[in-house]
Amino acid sequence: MWGEYSTGLLLVLVAAVIGFVALAVETDDLHRLLLLDLVEIAALGIIALLGSDLAEALILPGLTVGIAELLALSQIYVTKENLKDRPVRGLNIEVIQKADAPAVLSAFLVVYGLILSGFTGGGVAALGLVFFFASRGYKEDLEMLEMAGGISWAVWILAFFVFMFLPQYWFIALMCAGVGILIKVMVKLSLSGTVWGERHG
Amino acid sequence: MGSLGGIPLYVLEFGDELVYFSPYTITLFLLALTFTLLAIVSRPERQVDVAFGGDAYTTKIISVDEMRFRRFMAIACGLASMGAMVTGDVFNFTLFTAMVGITNVGIVAAVKSPHVQDAAYQYGLVALSATVPLFGAAALYAAATGSLSMIELAKGTLPAVPLVAKALLVIGVVGEGMAPFYAAKAEMFRAPGAPYVIMCSLSSLLIFLRVAEVVMIG
Repeated sequence: MWGEYSTGLLLVLVAAVIGFVALAVETDDLHRLLLLDLVEIAALGIIALLGSDLAEALILPGLTVGIAELLALSQIYVTKENLKDRPVRGLNIEVIQKADAPAVLSAFLVVYGLILSGFTGGGVAALGLVFFFASRGYKEDLEMLEMAGGISWAVWILAFFVFMFLPQYWFIALMCAGVGILIKVMVKLSLSGTVWGERHG
Repeated sequence: MGSLGGIPLYVLEFGDELVYFSPYTITLFLLALTFTLLAIVSRPERQVDVAFGGDAYTTKIISVDEMRFRRFMAIACGLASMGAMVTGDVFNFTLFTAMVGITNVGIVAAVKSPHVQDAAYQYGLVALSATVPLFGAAALYAAATGSLSMIELAKGTLPAVPLVAKALLVIGVVGEGMAPFYAAKAEMFRAPGAPYVIMCSLSSLLIFLRVAEVVMIG
């Protein structure tokens, strides 16, 4: 009587209810924000249960809206609590700054992201870069990275023009789009954390 | 087509993005458009605080930066409302509703008053948690009927939409900012600046009117 979908739905709903109960019990504002992020994942879980191309197409905007709300709320939290005098300068942990582990982990993530390619790969590779920048307290000029992001975006757009007007060259366009979106997402995600820290620092 | 709010006069199909104009959605769309234009052209009110027991009163000054940011947010809110009014896709409707929620927070968040900031933050928490039932409802619509298009759902050939999906949709919309259900939202109206704050209420009202149509479909 219970299909896979129903079982999965029940699990996700139970997870959501647990999240909401935690939210009701918690009184600290910052912790509630963090818990909300967990609850949000349950929403993405319900969409993901569709298990089709449509689900993938719906998760992306859902995730974007969630992140946008989270960013807006954390900005309000910073203003509300007057936290402007606390600059963000990477993780000041000596072990992480000196050890090789962050470099190895970042390299692994970047290589894995390159293999995955496309949007997901960009996200994974960006995670590696963000971790590396955060652990090393990277302070150099990031203009080169920004430029690479701009050019890869142009390549991505160019690939779409090829799809529309020269469909017989679809394979090269596919490769261009895959690599372009990979670099663009990677650069954008890694900059969003780093540049923000610089400006407030 | 009977269960839509009137017969669609015009259906715009652009890939997956489906937009239709029926007398009902056109009316709501024009209302949102009018108020967005008003928010663009009007100047912010200057709230007056009267001291009790005397004749003294002060006028709050709104800085140009603050005014610009809030006007931008009000326009974004108007655009999101317009989108929610005419879209024919259940998931897009939930996305636009979530965006109305964010912009409502944004309209008041620029005000540098601790009360307003705190209320905006609490409201933001509720709006963020409301995306769970909202997106969940859209996913259940797709899972139960196989379609998110309101036109398809209204034809009556698809399986019926489960009541729980409709209930979740309404709960989500209520969470995203239905004025009467909110203590926090009333507190937010301490923020000065009439045309922008009114945009919060108007967008909630419009979204509520539209969701009444959406839940009657299918």
